[in-house]
Amino acid sequence: MPSNIFLIAKREYLERVRTKSFLVTTMLIPLLMGGGILFSVVKSRHSKAASHIAVVAADTDLALALQDELEHGKDSAMQVDVISPPTGNTRQAVVDETAEKQIDGFLWIDVDKGKPKAIYTSMSNADISTMQSIESALRRAIVREGMQRKGVDAGEIKLMMAPVDLETETIRNGEISKSDTMTAFFGAYVLFFLMYMAVMLHGMNVARSIIEEKTSRVFEVMLATVRPQEMMAGKLLGVGSVGLTQIGIWVLAALGLSAAPMASAVGAGAIHISFSAGQIIAFIGYFVMGFLLYSGMAAAIGAMVNSEQELQQFNMVIALPMAVCMFVLVPVISNPNSPFSRIISLIPTCTPLIMYLRIAISNPPWYDIAASVVILLATIYGVLWLTARIYRVGILMYGKRPTLPEILKWIRYSD
Amino acid sequence: MSIVQLEHVRKVYDKKVAVEDLSFSIEPGTMFGLLGPNGSGKTSTIRMMVGITLPDSGVVRLFGEPFKRDALKRVAYLPEERGLYKKMKVIDQLVFLGQLRGLDEATALKRSHEWCERLQITEAIPKKTEELSKGMQQKIQFIATLLHEPELIIMDEPFSGLDPVNATLLIETMLDLRNEGRAILFSTHRMDQVEKMCDAICLISRGKEVLSGTMREVKSRYPRNRVQMTFEGDTGFLRNPGIEEAKLYNGSAEVRLKDESGAQQLLAQAVNAGTHITRFEVMEPTLEEIFIQEVSAGGNVDA
Repeated sequence: MPSNIFLIAKREYLERVRTKSFLVTTMLIPLLMGGGILFSVVKSRHSKAASHIAVVAADTDLALALQDELEHGKDSAMQVDVISPPTGNTRQAVVDETAEKQIDGFLWIDVDKGKPKAIYTSMSNADISTMQSIESALRRAIVREGMQRKGVDAGEIKLMMAPVDLETETIRNGEISKSDTMTAFFGAYVLFFLMYMAVMLHGMNVARSIIEEKTSRVFEVMLATVRPQEMMAGKLLGVGSVGLTQIGIWVLAALGLSAAPMASAVGAGAIHISFSAGQIIAFIGYFVMGFLLYSGMAAAIGAMVNSEQELQQFNMVIALPMAVCMFVLVPVISNPNSPFSRIISLIPTCTPLIMYLRIAISNPPWYDIAASVVILLATIYGVLWLTARIYRVGILMYGKRPTLPEILKWIRYSD
Repeated sequence: MSIVQLEHVRKVYDKKVAVEDLSFSIEPGTMFGLLGPNGSGKTSTIRMMVGITLPDSGVVRLFGEPFKRDALKRVAYLPEERGLYKKMKVIDQLVFLGQLRGLDEATALKRSHEWCERLQITEAIPKKTEELSKGMQQKIQFIATLLHEPELIIMDEPFSGLDPVNATLLIETMLDLRNEGRAILFSTHRMDQVEKMCDAICLISRGKEVLSGTMREVKSRYPRNRVQMTFEGDTGFLRNPGIEEAKLYNGSAEVRLKDESGAQQLLAQAVNAGTHITRFEVMEPTLEEIFIQEVSAGGNVDA
């Protein structure tokens, strides 16, 4: 009876929205997530290698060119001492300075048969950004020095060595527009993590709410009037609506913040986040499907176990497939339309997050989207069918946790 | 028309037979006791009446028709395992459960208040369920069960966990409901309550009916062969050949006779011997005695 489902959903919704934890998660998740991502984006943009090193080389011109590159380069702002040419006790001196932490390390350049050979010595072995800065600066210094020796005019060299800016544009719906790759990623990233958190949070809430009804024995009272299927449908609807409400609040807040005046007010003007309507529809659509898939699985687990503690042991069943989505995040972002990305986005447990991400940062072909939706819906149907059968028997079982053969038997029971 | 009618109902869980060939019926305005030791199939029987499980064979009729879920709107069910939503406010909870049973919100609200007054629990109305004492939660549960004015009220162990004051209040309320013409079925293993309240009983053991009928019918099947007496003086009459078993206490005795006719003879002998008798009562066996006798005759009290 649909009205029963509605009543159950309404109760579930109101009871959840009124709780403090709803308020806290609604505020805290985007703050933490947005803040964290904003911080890392801003940081990576403005971070330049800032070590203090010594350059030791017999070739003074090369050493000075390298000093110039490292101190005023595109992505480095180091402090560089030049020692050229080295004397007999130079080596001991720089080693001591490094050991005493007066400098972070030293670069020793020898010229061997016209080919420079450089060794960087430091106290740490994992400063990747310093290594990369030195490597590229050294290459540029060698090229500049080489050209200078061949008699190329200094102004010409400067022009040739000037950094090139790459602008990007994207075609969407036949229109070419300027795109800022960084902000596109930023927006997609934030929503990806929000969906991750929302699916996880509300999926587990379904399981928790079932266990609560089990431990408080409300089930028997309820089952004298409603069918188990109605209870499950009402619960999914209720908790799902809570998730949508939360996401609605987030999307509205994001739109408000990204509106120009607000954005400059909060000082986020440099990072302009824009969400297209298509992206928001995809987000909500994939969230609903993702929620149904994962909360369906969670409902089956909730019906099988007897306590929150037992639920913890089964968290893996939900957490693991979600974690897979995180592992493949980097390869998918760097190449959203590769065969790997396409296959991953068609695996139902990954589809909601990964397909959404592909849509957000690229233009996947329509048949990829269609296939993902069809496969996902079919899987959801299957999961809910199985869950309904486990649920029906499981909620009246107290005490011993069922074994796998018992669960298979529940599934085969007819009404 | 019987309110409930069970015909040869059978229910098996895996290999355990929970209910076997059970038949009984309950008339309107009757208080019906479903009795039996622990694990005898009382809860299994009740669950089939409210459609939580279905019988493997046999028929359950409610209001004269084979079981339909629609009929449940006229039935109340208080399960043995009580449960309420802990975090919900009492009044929200009552209205929610009332609405599930087909009431509109206003009616559910009005009746909730009326019932809370009747059961003297108005102070609980604005509280959350988890803040209430166990006895108060029982009352709220009881109200939730009755809000939709059901014609059939089924209660599984309604008195377990109630203090004597609340148990008496519940008994009075149940008798009121019976007098309004509703049929009430409750299960218990406390025979003193059954003896006072029930119009008819069915005693089951190991899923099978041992005894059933109206209280009068059941009792009349057993001889009135119990004598209780209080006396002063000679106890020689206790050697009367008509006595099967006698327990002598300080100034009183409980006697079981071989047959009903022995009572007058016993009294005559005692009077002749000069014993001063202050009380001499011929009794039928109590329900508790019948229960123990019947159940242990089958050799299967699971306790």
